[in-house]
Amino acid sequence: MKLRHRDYILNGPGVVKLTPENPEDMWYAYNLIAVGDRLAASTIRKVQRETSSGTREAERVHTRLEIEVEAVDYDNVANVLRIRGKNVTENEHVKLGAYHTLEIDQQRPFSLSKDIWDSIAIDTLKWACDPAATSEVAAVMIQEGLAYVCLVGQSVTTTKMKIETSIPRKHGPAIAGYEKAINKFLENVLQAVLRHVDFSIVRCLIIAGPGFTKDQFHNYMFSEATKRELRVIIENKSKIVLVHASSGYKHALKEVLSAPSVMNLIMDTKAAKEVKALKEFFDMLSNDPLRAIYGPKEVEIAHDRLAIQTLLLSDELFRNADIPTRRKYVDLTDSVKSSGGDVHIFSSMHVSGEQLGQLSGIAAILRFPLPDLEDMDL
Amino acid sequence: MEMLNQATEKLKGVDIKTETEKGKHRREPCPPLDTYEPEEWMLETFKQESKQLLHLAIVGHVDAGKSTLMGRLLHILGQVSKKEMHKYEREAKQSGKGSFSYAWVLDESSEERARGITMTVAVAQFETPKFHIVVLDSPGHKDFVPNMISGASQADAAVLVIDACTGAFEAGMEGEGQGVGQTKEHTQLVRSFGVEQLVVAVNKMDAVEYSEDRFNAIKTSLRPFLKHCGFKESGIRWIPLSAMENENLVTQPVNGQMLWYRGPTLLQALDSLEPPVRNVAKPFRLPIAEIFKSRTLGQAVVSGKVEGGAVKIGSKVLVMPSGVSATVKGIEQNGKTCTFVRAGDNADVGLQGVDPACLLQGGVLCHPDYPLPAASLLEVKVLLLETSGPLLRGSQVIIHCHHAKEPAKITKLVSLLDQKGQAIPNKKLRCLLANQRAVIEVKPERGICLEEYSRYKALGRISLRDAGKTLAVGIVTRIIEYE
Repeated sequence: MKLRHRDYILNGPGVVKLTPENPEDMWYAYNLIAVGDRLAASTIRKVQRETSSGTREAERVHTRLEIEVEAVDYDNVANVLRIRGKNVTENEHVKLGAYHTLEIDQQRPFSLSKDIWDSIAIDTLKWACDPAATSEVAAVMIQEGLAYVCLVGQSVTTTKMKIETSIPRKHGPAIAGYEKAINKFLENVLQAVLRHVDFSIVRCLIIAGPGFTKDQFHNYMFSEATKRELRVIIENKSKIVLVHASSGYKHALKEVLSAPSVMNLIMDTKAAKEVKALKEFFDMLSNDPLRAIYGPKEVEIAHDRLAIQTLLLSDELFRNADIPTRRKYVDLTDSVKSSGGDVHIFSSMHVSGEQLGQLSGIAAILRFPLPDLEDMDL
Repeated sequence: MEMLNQATEKLKGVDIKTETEKGKHRREPCPPLDTYEPEEWMLETFKQESKQLLHLAIVGHVDAGKSTLMGRLLHILGQVSKKEMHKYEREAKQSGKGSFSYAWVLDESSEERARGITMTVAVAQFETPKFHIVVLDSPGHKDFVPNMISGASQADAAVLVIDACTGAFEAGMEGEGQGVGQTKEHTQLVRSFGVEQLVVAVNKMDAVEYSEDRFNAIKTSLRPFLKHCGFKESGIRWIPLSAMENENLVTQPVNGQMLWYRGPTLLQALDSLEPPVRNVAKPFRLPIAEIFKSRTLGQAVVSGKVEGGAVKIGSKVLVMPSGVSATVKGIEQNGKTCTFVRAGDNADVGLQGVDPACLLQGGVLCHPDYPLPAASLLEVKVLLLETSGPLLRGSQVIIHCHHAKEPAKITKLVSLLDQKGQAIPNKKLRCLLANQRAVIEVKPERGICLEEYSRYKALGRISLRDAGKTLAVGIVTRIIEYE
């Protein structure tokens, strides 16, 4: 995201002017824009006019509007943000107080004005504008008959394509059908990779799965690349990594991201850090269950006792909350940071973030065990 | 008037709901199973059957010698011709895998032969004096446990093959590094499918010079574990043997070092197994294991074990989860055509009137009046295995039931159960730990066709896996929501 203008004070009012550059910026914008903020952008409005002949005509007018946000909708598929709100500026075409829906998409600059720029918002802004944070990792999760082509970005994991075919048995009279079916399946996966993976942006392509299907696909990909002169694949050979995973389903992605061979390639990405943090939490839960807790009330109590070492939060908590709740979580985050603890904010669009979300969205690893939390009736 | 009457008559027989709204509508649950009355032809010929049918799963850690043992047995019993055997030997030697020649009887695909492992469940058949045995040779490799689950779910009894070599047995029990070896995992899974009879074949005795001490040591080490799994002492048979040297498979051992052994041969042990109970009195259900095309049976052929009821050529069946009706065009058992199959039979059924795209592995063929809709939220009672990490609300797992497998989420931890199976009240459940028993709610990503355990045992057993390990095994206590 390009930052064109910035003017705010910490925990005070301010305004920023931003231009989204890539699809992932939509997600950052979604996390930044909250109910009650004011958003200005150029947009199209259908205006009714009476012509000289007396008939009413609807005309589409380009204009710049500023609205007070009431609802934000994130469209993952089209990569567009739709914000609905009431008009707050005087405009020749639109009345004050009239409802309008602004659409934010790539390359459309907007200006966001908030009453309170808290630390979370500033952090989000920092992540969004970080130029080094644009590279992604592409992953193909493949098992016999099922494959997912995913792109793991800084904050968003998108499943670009799912390929599923029924592969018949490998023995007896139908064995010829098996060869044909599996080749068709591998061809479909290859086409999906060619279409959705942009090797100029992607840091590496991981092919993962159980058994030997991943090796089969790898071999197929390279033999077809030489046969059909697919330059894209031949040139980027070094970027392709094979990793073992226990299944070809999407949630096995977290195993892939924590595999050592992949770790050094993606060490600094947010996705890898998140997976690592969540794994630590689960390890603590199985080794020393009294030092791992989850749930808003439990975490609050643990914090009152200054017991939190690592705090894990899902960004969903900040997005959908009303102002006092958001303030509470922001204060919690700031105070854990100031007392020397770590805070990880998980993106709910990543596999690990989804899992944290199921656990209520907030969890913590404690410095010392708190046995009475178990018995307390919360 | 005449035509109107005819039309109305025709419409009475058609199930309008399934024709117009395929799949996704809210189907009312199936009528109670005890209202089902099996037809005469299903029971009548039951008594005429000369040999009982027995499904035998062969399980064990990777490289224990499962396929070789079975290949050898099939060869000795005349199921493999001399010419075929010569061919396997020659080809195996050429690829540098001379010792795998017997395994190649079952591992037919080029992939399996090249790597020297079994990847999918191979099916073969042979006869003993009392039984007609269907062998389900499972893969032992960690990655292929889902395939093993698919095969072993059809079993009536199992043969657990142990590698007696020093170090190999221990690896199978403790595992290499992370988690348990497949010896333990397979045994637990097999028991969770309701198998009560186990033949423990201690293989590769030739490598330990047929030592009685080694055999007894393995027995002592394994016995408490089997008891812990729920196998009764009376259901276990211990057989030392060597597949490579053909000792104690079909004939009494001839090697001088094995004279201390006075027990039955493998074949005798298999023959002494109890025949399984056949559920002919329940409505027809066939969980679909494989789908393929065949010259004799047409474009839409499914294969699997009939878990209940019976069908004959011309019978109408319902394909779930799609809800499409089809007619049985042809039936084959082990390559031979037959007119009907009953509960307990493993068959290839050719269907007419259905698009092969509606057939899914994990689907079920069922009686048209007793449909089996896909469930989207289940309540299950599970036992967490000792290798399982903590399970919390939101944990992502893969749920396996007969041949179906789906990624799923644990949506609620309902209650913890004590040793007797009673719910412990007022215990706030934060997470479940290994070796605990509990009732939980599971939501699969897509609906699975299954039944409550109390209604239909074979279709009510589930296992939960993740990250290459089996976390828990259990039964379906209640179906909360249908798709």
